[in-house]
Amino acid sequence: MIRVVTLDELDPADLAFLTRSLYRAFGLGTEYAGDRPMPSGAEGKDGRVDAVALLRDVAPIRTFADDKVLYVASAPLSLPSGPLGEPPCWGFADFGKERALVSTARLPARGASESSVEAFQRRLAREAVHAIGHLWDLHHCVDARCAMHPSWSPHLPASPEMDLCPFCRDKSERKIRLAKT
Amino acid sequence: MRGPPPRHPDEQREQLPPVEGFISDAAELAEGVRVVYPNQGVCTVVGIEEKDISGQKLQLVRMRREEDGAAVLVPRNKVPAIGLRKVATGGQIDGVFHYLAAQFDDPELDWKVRHRDNADRLIAGGVLGLAEVVKGLHTLSRLRPLPAKEREQYDNARHLLVHEVAVSLGVSPGLAEDYIDYVLMPPPGVTFDVPPPPAPVLLPPRPRRRKPAAEEEENVLGDLGLGDLGIDLDLVAEGAEAPEAAGEGAAEGEGGDTKEGDEGEGGAEAVAAAPAADEDDDDEAVPPARAEKAEKKAKAKPEKKAAAAKPRKAPAEKKPAKSEKAEKPAEKKPAKRSAAKAAPKRGGKKK
Repeated sequence: MIRVVTLDELDPADLAFLTRSLYRAFGLGTEYAGDRPMPSGAEGKDGRVDAVALLRDVAPIRTFADDKVLYVASAPLSLPSGPLGEPPCWGFADFGKERALVSTARLPARGASESSVEAFQRRLAREAVHAIGHLWDLHHCVDARCAMHPSWSPHLPASPEMDLCPFCRDKSERKIRLAKT
Repeated sequence: MRGPPPRHPDEQREQLPPVEGFISDAAELAEGVRVVYPNQGVCTVVGIEEKDISGQKLQLVRMRREEDGAAVLVPRNKVPAIGLRKVATGGQIDGVFHYLAAQFDDPELDWKVRHRDNADRLIAGGVLGLAEVVKGLHTLSRLRPLPAKEREQYDNARHLLVHEVAVSLGVSPGLAEDYIDYVLMPPPGVTFDVPPPPAPVLLPPRPRRRKPAAEEEENVLGDLGLGDLGIDLDLVAEGAEAPEAAGEGAAEGEGGDTKEGDEGEGGAEAVAAAPAADEDDDDEAVPPARAEKAEKKAKAKPEKKAAAAKPRKAPAEKKPAKSEKAEKPAEKKPAKRSAAKAAPKRGGKKK
């Protein structure tokens, strides 16, 4: 089961599109599990929120074995700097565990037009599939059309797909089958 | 002791310098030490225990794989052989990132060579070897889609690299993967000013295709697979000598008899030896021996032999592939002599 939790307000239509997309990508039941407040002091000096700290400090929800939780925030996220710099952050996931986080800050602006709303929804769904994929032990994929391709890659198309490539789909299905309790 | 296992039992294992942090003594494996098991990932030593296995008391090092908690038991005396090493240090991780950030546009295009080398790198167990596999296959994937096997190999190498980098930097695997891919696929406009990458991992040279020495010396016709067709190779070997004997006979003036002799010695042999015999006949169609026959019989024998040897060497120059065939029968001197002795007898009858 995938449980979606919002940390900031999200349009119900976007939420419905998100749960449908996650169900289609993983074949797992997906439901909205309510909202939680943003942890106090999460925001850093530069106005961004440390994704690792946020995921660690956010209030938990009730889950069962093999449940995955996706938190959706609107604040811009940051990651601790690595050996060669700080990678841009659309979301973050505890690899192989149960919590993931995505932010809407870097997504295309959700305007009033139908096309802009659709672009926003599709990109949000793509980032959510990417984050949940990490929870099912999927690594980044070399295929630019796959949802597991890194979000900052120069090879990513302008409107990236929200589906998994056959290799990642097989792997996630295998993991899900083995993990089912 | 490092390096892939020998592919042939008699092949000497290539001695390469061990990877950095290589554990050569089981005494280094104290409880709680984190080590990297080649092709398995990061493990924590739980302790050393003694077990009775089929009447033998063995000392085993028990380890726990960190990724999934799987138990790994290694006989204490085999620790140096399996290639255990310590988790990569900060300097090694820097080298890995410099390697990943470096420009690399020349992946190995030969599937067999690439797959073999990558497998060797994974078995060797160094962290730089993992980075080489990831970088090489990633670069290749930019040129063309990876085959299923290599896609799996790429995923395995990436998995091992991500976990080792995560353990070494003390971050979560998700973050370590972001660091790796940030360097591997930098966003537009981002460039890295990094020192030159470390030298690539040394791989053992591949063994050449082996030919058993006995087979080489014995009979080159064995390579033709005639044994599989039910053809007696011993007879064929005799047949291969026959043209030579025939050649000698021809040199002495019995060109007509040589063909009879070839056919008479066996049907199967004729099939196999026909090309060789035909070649000889073709070359000797205008044999210097016949000219000599018309002149004088009383010419010195060494001269005749030299004349007979000439046409045999000529085709070897034209067709290098058959040079072995031409040379081989010459080595079997006893048979040659007997054939040479037989020839004058027949020639004598004709007289």
